[in-house]
Amino acid sequence: MHISDGILEPKWIFFWYAISIFFIGLGLRIINKRVKEEPVYLPRLSLMGAVVFVISVWHIPVPVTGSSSHPVGTPMSSIIIGPSATVVISAIALFFQAFVAHGGLTTIGANTFSMGIAGNFGGYFVYRLLKNVSPLWFSAGLAGLAGSIITYLTTALQLALSLNPGNVLYYWKLYSLGFIPTQLPLAFAEFAFTAYVIKYISETGCMENISPGYPGDRFSRNALLLMFSIAAIIAIGAYIGYLGGVNMAGTDSTVESMAAPSASRGGIRLISYIGEPLGFALIGITGGLITGYFWSELRRRS
Amino acid sequence: MLEWLSADPLNGIIITITFFISVIIGRYLRIKRAGENKSKLIDSRIKILFLFFLIISITLMGHWYIPIGILVICIFISLRLAIFRIFGSKLIFPVLLAFFILVIQTLANGTNKIDYGIISVSQEGFESGFLIFARVVAAASLAILFLSTASENEIIETMRWYRVPITMLDISSLMSRYIRAFSMEAKKMKMAQISRGGLSGGSGYLKKMHDIASITGALIIRALVRAELVYRAMLSRGWKHGQLSLEGAQALNLMDLLIGFILLTGIIILIGIDRVMLA
Repeated sequence: MHISDGILEPKWIFFWYAISIFFIGLGLRIINKRVKEEPVYLPRLSLMGAVVFVISVWHIPVPVTGSSSHPVGTPMSSIIIGPSATVVISAIALFFQAFVAHGGLTTIGANTFSMGIAGNFGGYFVYRLLKNVSPLWFSAGLAGLAGSIITYLTTALQLALSLNPGNVLYYWKLYSLGFIPTQLPLAFAEFAFTAYVIKYISETGCMENISPGYPGDRFSRNALLLMFSIAAIIAIGAYIGYLGGVNMAGTDSTVESMAAPSASRGGIRLISYIGEPLGFALIGITGGLITGYFWSELRRRS
Repeated sequence: MLEWLSADPLNGIIITITFFISVIIGRYLRIKRAGENKSKLIDSRIKILFLFFLIISITLMGHWYIPIGILVICIFISLRLAIFRIFGSKLIFPVLLAFFILVIQTLANGTNKIDYGIISVSQEGFESGFLIFARVVAAASLAILFLSTASENEIIETMRWYRVPITMLDISSLMSRYIRAFSMEAKKMKMAQISRGGLSGGSGYLKKMHDIASITGALIIRALVRAELVYRAMLSRGWKHGQLSLEGAQALNLMDLLIGFILLTGIIILIGIDRVMLA
């Protein structure tokens, strides 16, 4: 993820610096307030900074993008010390990493934005969203996975904006795909790693801000396993198809011409109105909620 | 043979005095030179500013000659300072990364492609790839050289002079200590776990991940407890948060400012050469 010196254009160097400085300023305000109330918060922060440094310094070079793949560690840190403080410690970790030729001095702003702001807040948001409705290990693990993927999507966007301003969307997709072979396994590793670490810390009971969460049962485990398996099959199939140059437009036209020639060409009105991704998400959520709500009832009757 | 002694003693006296005084001066210069750290000739505050602007100027360059020239100079300096091994080992990753860019640009970029059987390359892609290669490697070599000639304390001191917020400096100084302690402790715990049958080659992915995560979790808990104890000890010995204020910081002297001015002028000249003479 760390973009090296010499890749970003100067205007983007300063742009990402400006955004990151704003977030660092906010983070510092929160840290200062907290340190006044609880002085030992400072060594705790520094220690998490060291953890983020060690986790994210291990990297694999990625062809195409001029960057590298590695676990990020910021979602785990945001669960332990909070997302605002994580922005500050990731900026410091990136500063130290610039001197071991990992990342760069002029790209600290861009790298802080992707790893310390987008990945960190994205992961934390997922954690907070799932914390009370899923087991702790799952919400923490998914925070790690989401944080890792968001970080890489942001890095791909930063590269596309700077290197290919004429065709940002196309190159964003290209750079994102360039990251997949190395980053996807790392993102799953980060899922397992974050889940185990947070679960371990929660079991010791020495961090009051990490609650055990919703206790998972066999039903939840099976549903998650099924979800991961199906999603992985679809993702692998789509990637193989993309590499093979298959037209990714879907099977809509085949269905329209062969299965339902008399159906309206506009498709389902709601989906054409709000767009396919949002429409399918809405269908998934509605279907899932209804099935989940009546599952036990249906099982008992059958 | 001893004619000069009786007939012309002046020459003898002159040569004796000049010789022995020169011996003393020569010895003094040798000692002074040996004690002088060549890498500390430029103030680190000037060095970091110069480094930042030089890296930005490298990004602005349209030809590979100057970045490659900078790389050669960095290699020469590292040889002179006898740090080439460290410098070289740290440079491996950026070179590898830049090489990937060069290969991909050569194979994928450009419109006029020359077919070599299974692969087709483009001159245009190679040129743009080599420019990025030169920029990345030159910038990385500068950063590595800077770190090799500046201590952690010096870097933190420099940050302090540049008015970096005190809290960030406190976290940085604590972090730089914890990174080393954390890495060492992690190695120890990993060895302990291997000796007890953990992390074995035969165990599956999830088991390995569980073992690594349990080391990290235990390490975080253990380190947190220790860090808090150390911090309380530091407080009890008079250390205060925000102690690293700007009071007592050494001001830049005229010589440092002059060197800074010359170096920054040099950067502007380099950009000028790249834009005008090499165009």
